[in-house]
Amino acid sequence: MTKTMIARALLWVLALMPLLAAAIALPEGSFRNGAAALSSLGRLTAIGGLGMFLVAAIVSFRIPGFDRVFGGLTTLWQTHHLLGAWAFLLLLAHPLLLALAATDISLAAGVAVLLPKSGGTATWLGWGALLAMMAFLAPSFAFFGRPHYQRWKWLHRLSGVAAVLALAHTFMLARTLPEPWDTLMWVTLAAAALAALGYGLVLSRRANRYRYQVAEVARPANNVVELSLVPEGRALSYQAGQFVYLSPLDPGLAAGCGEEHPYTLSSAPGEPVLRIAIKDLGDASRAIQTIATGTEVRITGPYGAFFPDRDDAPELWIAGGIGITPFLARTRALAQRGRAVNIQLIYCVQDQARTLFGEELTRLAATIPGFVITLHYFYRDGPLDGDFVRYHCPDVSSRQVYVCGPTPLLDLARQVVLGAGLPRARFHSEEFNLL
Amino acid sequence: MKKLCYSAFIAFWSSIATLLAVQVMATDSPAGEQATATFTLEEVAAHASANDCWAAIAGGVYDLPPYLPKHPTPPAILAAWCGQEATEGMRTKGYGRDHSPMAWEMLEAYRIGDLAE
Repeated sequence: MTKTMIARALLWVLALMPLLAAAIALPEGSFRNGAAALSSLGRLTAIGGLGMFLVAAIVSFRIPGFDRVFGGLTTLWQTHHLLGAWAFLLLLAHPLLLALAATDISLAAGVAVLLPKSGGTATWLGWGALLAMMAFLAPSFAFFGRPHYQRWKWLHRLSGVAAVLALAHTFMLARTLPEPWDTLMWVTLAAAALAALGYGLVLSRRANRYRYQVAEVARPANNVVELSLVPEGRALSYQAGQFVYLSPLDPGLAAGCGEEHPYTLSSAPGEPVLRIAIKDLGDASRAIQTIATGTEVRITGPYGAFFPDRDDAPELWIAGGIGITPFLARTRALAQRGRAVNIQLIYCVQDQARTLFGEELTRLAATIPGFVITLHYFYRDGPLDGDFVRYHCPDVSSRQVYVCGPTPLLDLARQVVLGAGLPRARFHSEEFNLL
Repeated sequence: MKKLCYSAFIAFWSSIATLLAVQVMATDSPAGEQATATFTLEEVAAHASANDCWAAIAGGVYDLPPYLPKHPTPPAILAAWCGQEATEGMRTKGYGRDHSPMAWEMLEAYRIGDLAE
């Protein structure tokens, strides 16, 4: 088990702690008949769901550096998604289980659990929390079609309201754990979420925010720009393959002025300028194609842990389209260092005309001993397959494999290299599917 | 996971709607609404065994034997309150906490009348 896996496992332990404590504290006979079992499960789902919800909140505040402990921000977000989804499922089951338990007495009692006639403040707080949760998760789970990024982000703030209402509901009703443990447990988790919010949104945001100016806009293709940014104050320190959140502050932009979006850095650490290659993939990235030189941008980061700190093992890189950016950064860094490496790059693009940075990559590769580039053209070679990979990289299963590109390529590459006998632990991918 | 969550979301509202629809269509009125009788604490005290158990709780009088086997704790704990003013027992169960709104709602099914002032 790697260190990052242990770190992620600890998050799950923290999230499941309330559920475990409650399961242990349940009185004898809690499962002695159907109604009692439904009632006990109704409580356990609530406690388990809230624990996971609060830990999902704790890991959602992106704190530069903190994410590397867990294998990078995108990996940490997968944990966030999974915790959030489980919390949602458990919290949906909670009122239904309690209502079903009460139907053992009468149907009216079951309905009254959900819609109390009098004195149901705690119940209504619970309803408020659940409805808020449905509202802020609807776009995340694409309940009503593919979400709009900014609207999703804005709606997700309702999670704070849901957390407060759910905690109030819990404090009024909690009766499974003996005091003071019950209060202590929820106060600790809520305080940790609040501390992460405060640190992530205020202190760390201030410490990790940088102002840059657009010095040059290069056009490697008609729908891709590479911005060269010079620092206005202190400069960002980062590693190849990391990404930042960038907010353009050019008032002339058609969309996205002041909005932050994640982009991979394409420059090598140590270059005097910061470079970011951006493909037109949405409203904001389309608008940024026309960003004016001399305007300011705000950078927050760096995030991610795509490449490891040690890099002496043989590697295979598989890039698709604009997914070349982390590899471009690394190639530029390797060219500066000039040491021999054992790296194969398979760069997948539609056709030769759509090869981004092809010329520069070929030129740099010639200066790095042991660095080999293979181009895979979809129109000529078809979808990437095992034969192609094994032909160009016969020892694929003994390498560290890094993949970055659109989801279909990512899935295909995973299938191909795992099929070729690569252990799962040596497969690394950077996914920008943040929703 | 997205599909699972969406299915759960739909299943949740379907279950709630079903429960409410069945309740609306149910013809038998809840037992609690028929309670008009008034009892004194002396009358309540005459029903002080597990088989014949009345309890006065928060201004109401309840006939509990059908419920005793369904209660989570051993029957003896509830039986101790038979024939008594048992509001305190409802308000301070294990760890000194009040019963849940669910428990209070469930209690209404066993109401037979009001406690005389």
